[in-house]
Amino acid sequence: MGNITMRDAFFDRLYKVAQKNRNIIIMNADMGAPSLDKFKKHLSGQFINVGIAEENMVNVAAGLTLGGKKVFIYAIMPFVTSRCYEMIKINMSLMNIPITAVGVGAGFSYDESGPTHHSTEDIAIMRALPNMTIFSPSDSVMAAQCAVMSCKISGPSYIRLDRHMLPGIYNQNHDFSDGLTSLKNGKDLCIISTGNMVYRAMEVSKKLADCGINAGVIDLYRIKPVNAELLLRNIKQARAVVTLEEHLISGGMGSAVAEILIDNNKTIPIKRIGIQDKYYYAYGGRKNIQFLCGLDADNITKTIIDWFKKQRKTVYGKKS
Amino acid sequence: MLTGSGKLKKKAGYIRNLILDMCIKAGTGHVTSSFSCVEILAALYYGRILRYDVSFPEWEGRDRFILSKGQASPLLYAILADVGFFAKNKLVRFCQANGIFGVHLQNSVSGVEITSGSLGHGLGVGAGLALAAKMNKKRYLTFVLLGDGECHEGSIWEAAMFAAHYKLNNLVAIVDRNRLCATGFTERTMRLDPLDKKWKSFGWEAIVINGHSFKEIISVFDGIHSRRSDKPLVIIANTIKGKGISFMENQPLWHGVAPKGKQAELARIEISGGGE
Repeated sequence: MGNITMRDAFFDRLYKVAQKNRNIIIMNADMGAPSLDKFKKHLSGQFINVGIAEENMVNVAAGLTLGGKKVFIYAIMPFVTSRCYEMIKINMSLMNIPITAVGVGAGFSYDESGPTHHSTEDIAIMRALPNMTIFSPSDSVMAAQCAVMSCKISGPSYIRLDRHMLPGIYNQNHDFSDGLTSLKNGKDLCIISTGNMVYRAMEVSKKLADCGINAGVIDLYRIKPVNAELLLRNIKQARAVVTLEEHLISGGMGSAVAEILIDNNKTIPIKRIGIQDKYYYAYGGRKNIQFLCGLDADNITKTIIDWFKKQRKTVYGKKS
Repeated sequence: MLTGSGKLKKKAGYIRNLILDMCIKAGTGHVTSSFSCVEILAALYYGRILRYDVSFPEWEGRDRFILSKGQASPLLYAILADVGFFAKNKLVRFCQANGIFGVHLQNSVSGVEITSGSLGHGLGVGAGLALAAKMNKKRYLTFVLLGDGECHEGSIWEAAMFAAHYKLNNLVAIVDRNRLCATGFTERTMRLDPLDKKWKSFGWEAIVINGHSFKEIISVFDGIHSRRSDKPLVIIANTIKGKGISFMENQPLWHGVAPKGKQAELARIEISGGGE
């Protein structure tokens, strides 16, 4: 499924589910896409465009859910998270209402649109909400599966889709119920990544191998609740952990991992790589923004090598 | 169920007593915000308007009552206890360590549809419930009680637009027009008038009534379940914040405050005419 965006993969699958389950309602805040048009054309009774009014979308979704519907709300990521955050807090999280919020545009997906459309703090704010389940898929196979998984969750959920076409990682029938997948073993360190940065972690792992560092890669796609037991088991052999995400370092997936390590007395060097505490008005495409904030493969590799060498000296007393 | 303004008036007095007892004991609670809409809720719950079944709170055919101005929770709790959704002795534990509810409304309490406290949410949720009723071909009505200060929230108007667009004629909003928000008078803080025209211009049928007159309240709700219109209905109920206690009426400083000491005694004396 490498030739389809996450959004189209997700809505194509959801369309099939919604054809069978007429209780499913898709709400959106004036968003268009060919994969959405099918709902409008063939399942018009299950499709609601609320106009550019995301707060109302959440509130109406809550009412529809209390009235027996399974509702998906969809918008560009900042507008279905931070824009209507208090509505999500009360009418999804606090009342534990099983609405699924679907955002498109993770990280710098909407590159040229600037920070109003970038989503670099959504993990931090959404994972602060009790009862919330967060999926951060890394390819389109997983994104499609999220449409199915979210229907089975009894509480609210949030799915963060990338806007761009990402390389395929998983086979069609992969089981994503574990919440994370170990894609590659490594005896020196383990890179835990999410979303679009998972494929980047695989690239970096190859570059590190060329420099004599054996790095494993874990795809942490369910950011809340994290499968802590499986995560700890998977990093048992690693001497250091690196987290990698296209999200602010503060409060993101790396913070979630650090909390788990600390709370489980796992004293291991950890380096969180992500976006520094700033916004990026930068153009020339996502690659350029990633380069400017150090999230291109070469910069990440260099960051990890420099850090890992220091760890070896200070923690293990070895010469690099 | 009660019929006749006299019986309802007596019940309203009794409910005011319950609210006052709860809030004086707790030393907190929105007495004045509750008192302005006692007659509205008393009419809904005791005047054969709202359809509900205390022995089956989750009954699918029940009308949905959304208290969007969640600070009036003592009022709803007092009525829900009185009609039998839960034991009345729970009221004295309002805001107490062993209690089941506090200042703002919780949907964990039997008979309560949604949690509220933050303003501007209830009308959108109510619109969703009303739309679900249409989709599911259910005949229940959704009633939403809004504060007038709450109408400062933009989300109210997003929901108003939505409800009219979807012709939610099974949705009834009631605005408790006591002309006070938290710190002062609405018209000085942020003008709302002409409020009925605003709702009308959003595609609603709007009716203005005296929100303390059972005659007018009962009359406006008469035949509500068979109303013929393709518009949602808003009732703007002119009320007095703190109605029933002279020194608290229309006084901004009594927002969210329970009387203490001598004032508590005076308040009790003023409303003591009410009895079951």
